[in-house]
Amino acid sequence: MRLESKLPRWLVPPALRISALLLLCALPAAAQQDPYLKLDQNSRIAIEQLSDSLRQLGLSDRPLWSKTLQGIRLGVDNRTIVGAVRKKFTNLRTAFTVLGPVGDAELDAAAAVLEAGAKPSQLSVFKQRQKGRSDLQAFTVWADLIYRSVPGDEAATAITKLWEDGADEATYRRLWNDVQADISQGLNPGAALQARVREAPVRPAAAKPPTPPEG
Amino acid sequence: MTDSELHPYVELIAREARRPVASDPAARARVMAAVRAEPAPRRLPVWLRAFQPRPITLSPAVGGLLAAGLVGLGVIGGNFALNRDGRNPVGQPPSVAARLPVSDTVFVIVAPQAAQVSLVGDFNDWDASKAPLVRVPNSGLWKVTVPLPAGRHLYQFVVDGNWVPDPGAPVAGDDGFGRTNSVRIVGTGSAL
Repeated sequence: MRLESKLPRWLVPPALRISALLLLCALPAAAQQDPYLKLDQNSRIAIEQLSDSLRQLGLSDRPLWSKTLQGIRLGVDNRTIVGAVRKKFTNLRTAFTVLGPVGDAELDAAAAVLEAGAKPSQLSVFKQRQKGRSDLQAFTVWADLIYRSVPGDEAATAITKLWEDGADEATYRRLWNDVQADISQGLNPGAALQARVREAPVRPAAAKPPTPPEG
Repeated sequence: MTDSELHPYVELIAREARRPVASDPAARARVMAAVRAEPAPRRLPVWLRAFQPRPITLSPAVGGLLAAGLVGLGVIGGNFALNRDGRNPVGQPPSVAARLPVSDTVFVIVAPQAAQVSLVGDFNDWDASKAPLVRVPNSGLWKVTVPLPAGRHLYQFVVDGNWVPDPGAPVAGDDGFGRTNSVRIVGTGSAL
């Protein structure tokens, strides 16, 4: 076949070159663009339904897609990914039910506390918001303590006490550093936490959150 | 020979058709003179000619390459089409890293035997190619600085292909895939 074009002669070679270059750029980009293509259709639909449900509650679906992507990057099978996403969804929804409207990061951290094994009733204390304070550190340290084999009730009691005492972020940070160091030196995780909580400074200005009237 | 060809009209028509045509020798000159008398079409400026419709004939090869180029433009453009919420207009799943960076955050890990270390997290779509760590000379320390938005971030290191949590950071518990994610809180004055 004779290659023939009525485009000006001076224009054709650059047009061909640019087109070929764009194609070469686009091929790898297209291959990398959508890792979600590795999900089969049923899994994708299942995750999209969970995502829609979360958005209907007014919550960000970002944690669900992040979990999905993590599973895909790890090369985990679709069923396991959907299971992990569903678990994440359940914990986010429970945390939202317990805490009410909070920031995305705090809700995700609270969901992680539930995922670690805390009971929703233990989390409900934090529903009473303290003005100007973020519970991100408290939730992060709480989930970590449970993961490090501190008994769930003891972790909940310790974090709740610090929170009611008005502990600041530095206090939680120090608590985590100290308890982690104690555990790595061989101390019993529960005992290490108890000892460090007793040492934690209590802010004199901190007031306990108002207790709702009974009845 | 058929009956119709013997018809007298056929012979009459054939005779007329064979007669030589006597054309006016001045007709051609008159037509050309009339054409020359017409005003020449005004030559359009270059920028205006670009908007004039014109037929273009392309071979299949050239046409295919141009089409491929347009597809390439679409794909490349699509990468920038995600909105701020991370969800694009056609309902694709969001890029979970689509948030504004606010502060440079340093990640370090000690891995003296490692040949390659990367950082993966919810801030880079868990893509190991996006944040490779650099070995600090003459040490087993690996380091990378990543711009992160304020908030809570989950991450792991990928050491020679193996995902491992940060030993110096709190963990968020089981990630659902048999591993544990580390947590980094940014923007609240925290070093956690």
